[in-house]
Amino acid sequence: MSDFRGMRLEPAPVGAANRDKQARRLSSGAHRGCALAAMRAKIAALESGGRADAGVLAFGDEGLDGRLPGGGLPLGRWHEITGAGLEAETSAAPAAFAALTAAPLAMRGEAVWVLRRDDLWAPGLAGLGFPPARLIQVCARDEAEALSVMEDALATVGVSAVFGEVEAVDLTAGRRLQLACEKRGSTGFVIKRRPFGGTARKEAAGSIAATRWRVACAPSEPPGGEFGLGAPRYRVDLERCRGGQTGAWILEAQMAYCWEADDVAHSLRLVADLGDRELAPAQPDQRRAA
Amino acid sequence: MALVETVRQVRRLAAVSREAARLGLYAGQKATDAMALVPELVTAEAEPEADALALTALTDWCVRFSPAVAADAPDGLFLDISGVSHLWGGEAELMADFRARLADNGLAFRLAVADTPGAAWALAHFGRDETLAPPGGQAELLKPLPPSALRLDPEAAAQIARLGLRRLEQLIDLPRAPLGRRFGAHTLERLDQALGRSAEALRFRRPPTPWVARLAFVEPISTPDDMARVTQDVTAKLCARMLAEGQGGRRFEIAFHRVDGQTLPLTIGLSLAGRDAKRIARLFQPHLETIDPGFGIESVTICAYDVEPVSGRQVRLEAGLAPSMEDGLAPLVDRLVNRLGPERVWRAAPVESHVPELAVGRDTPLGAPVSEAAPWDRETPRPVRLFRRPEPLDAVMALTPDDPPRQFQWRGRTHIVRRAEGPERIGEEWWKRGIETVSAAHVRDYYRVENAEGMRFWLFRAGLYGDPDAPPKWWLHGLFG
Repeated sequence: MSDFRGMRLEPAPVGAANRDKQARRLSSGAHRGCALAAMRAKIAALESGGRADAGVLAFGDEGLDGRLPGGGLPLGRWHEITGAGLEAETSAAPAAFAALTAAPLAMRGEAVWVLRRDDLWAPGLAGLGFPPARLIQVCARDEAEALSVMEDALATVGVSAVFGEVEAVDLTAGRRLQLACEKRGSTGFVIKRRPFGGTARKEAAGSIAATRWRVACAPSEPPGGEFGLGAPRYRVDLERCRGGQTGAWILEAQMAYCWEADDVAHSLRLVADLGDRELAPAQPDQRRAA
Repeated sequence: MALVETVRQVRRLAAVSREAARLGLYAGQKATDAMALVPELVTAEAEPEADALALTALTDWCVRFSPAVAADAPDGLFLDISGVSHLWGGEAELMADFRARLADNGLAFRLAVADTPGAAWALAHFGRDETLAPPGGQAELLKPLPPSALRLDPEAAAQIARLGLRRLEQLIDLPRAPLGRRFGAHTLERLDQALGRSAEALRFRRPPTPWVARLAFVEPISTPDDMARVTQDVTAKLCARMLAEGQGGRRFEIAFHRVDGQTLPLTIGLSLAGRDAKRIARLFQPHLETIDPGFGIESVTICAYDVEPVSGRQVRLEAGLAPSMEDGLAPLVDRLVNRLGPERVWRAAPVESHVPELAVGRDTPLGAPVSEAAPWDRETPRPVRLFRRPEPLDAVMALTPDDPPRQFQWRGRTHIVRRAEGPERIGEEWWKRGIETVSAAHVRDYYRVENAEGMRFWLFRAGLYGDPDAPPKWWLHGLFG
């Protein structure tokens, strides 16, 4: 049973791309288009396993939302956020990106952040527009405990977003997280973080995360060439997206460090599209170093 | 047999056995004198700490008789048996049971029951063993006892003895005012306490709670399944009573009483007062395996603490509309707190302090916020990650006195600063510490800098330029991401 489930939940991104190509080929006739849309809806219904759709969280930008399935970050799933280089250990940019992305979710319910090291600082989250008053922080003793606390929190009524800082999520743990997400439609954010001084672990072969993001800091641009730092910018690579397309962008947290952050739907603003990932070199780190 | 202790470099007997007492030895005698009198005396070192531990264990064990037990160091116990004795059929029966069980444990003891702790103490120490003072009748029984039965301090007792007052009735008959003047108010107070004229506060082992449930078994149990079941049963028993009276508890303690007299307690806490038996029993579940049943468990008690009224809850017709706190979050927090420990689950609360590491306090995850501090200023940029200890920076190049660094080394990598903001000066909280420890070296100038790749750092310079004793040092305190 579980194998079957795994196969069903695991369409490769290549498959998604193929499907799009097929779609373009087939869209010659309006009738065919209709049939295709109906079939897609059917497949989506099958994939969701009969549960109600938890909806999406739109970033509010066509370029970004268009790549994501359903026009936004799918809720009721879990997402993977990794950092590059030094950030794999310190994980500041991924945490900031996760907080910025999930800030609207925290307005809907409680959020839980599962830590391994107690270095998340609430005033910083408040500055980014994430309400620390809605956040319960949990410091787990080890990796397995962090994952089980995440799972427990995801399956709880009234919790809308769960963040977890773990080193790796294997297939079994990933599936358990997914099942927990589906129970109440809450959204998980796995922030991949290596322990300090730890060696890089081999990446797990597969993952059933809905999306995988690689987040790094990007140089800020103060408006009008002013002195000092501008609003924080992030280089965001959508490396993997189930049912959508990958991409790379530079996003700016336009409402960071001001009181009006609550007035906008989403604080992240698209600054630049870094183009098609297929054309970019395979190793984003080397490119940035060059 | 005697126990020996060292008091001011003199070896003295701390306690003597019955046989030794018969030979004329007494506590407080010099060990050498005793050895001279009874050469075959066996001595052992006195261990007051072990004695105290044993007394604590005995206190715990006595909870099976009454929830209110107070230890009376070094060698006594008080049991508040008001409202309990009827369970045994009367005070005499309770005392008989108590006696039998204590004797089973091989302890030497004397018992007395009286209206007041003072009278019970006096009768147990100086009266006939197993005295049962009738209600209001302790004065008669106290009269023939010596004045030291009042738990007096040694000076007062010695003075009373010197004046020829050998029986308590002489003391009781004396006019109060001169008595108090001569022997101190303490003597008067002890007298009043013994006679029930003034109340005495005992330090009970635990606050007595009326919320107790108990299950006793015909046969001792020991299997894990049985223990899980009796946990559920005894919890259900207590919770049914709480439900009937509209109360809920925040803390529950279950105690397994083993046949060998040991008591094994387990405690769990709830973030919101509750009485859901299933949920409470489930919180005990993971800890049950730490209980060693030994030869078997003969009874189990559960107590609820911090009991407060809990309003009944209507079961919603349409579940899953707007979840209430009791539905999801409170059980989650309870599970986490009881599994990880209360210090590992928290909600960040603002503290009014400029010093970054002091600006965040910890609130309990649920319930009203404790602190009334103003929320953090969202307009001053603060990092997402704050290191518990600032990390030292090497090879910092900066223009003196007040410019941000041009480049610095952190964790073996050189970072070239592209943009910077600052300084933001944060001084120490000099009003909180001694004036002599305040120093300019504790002044921190914080900068927000961005390197060529865009990483944003929060670093500071501790100390000021121009101080030859303490040259300024650079530290990294946090990362903005």
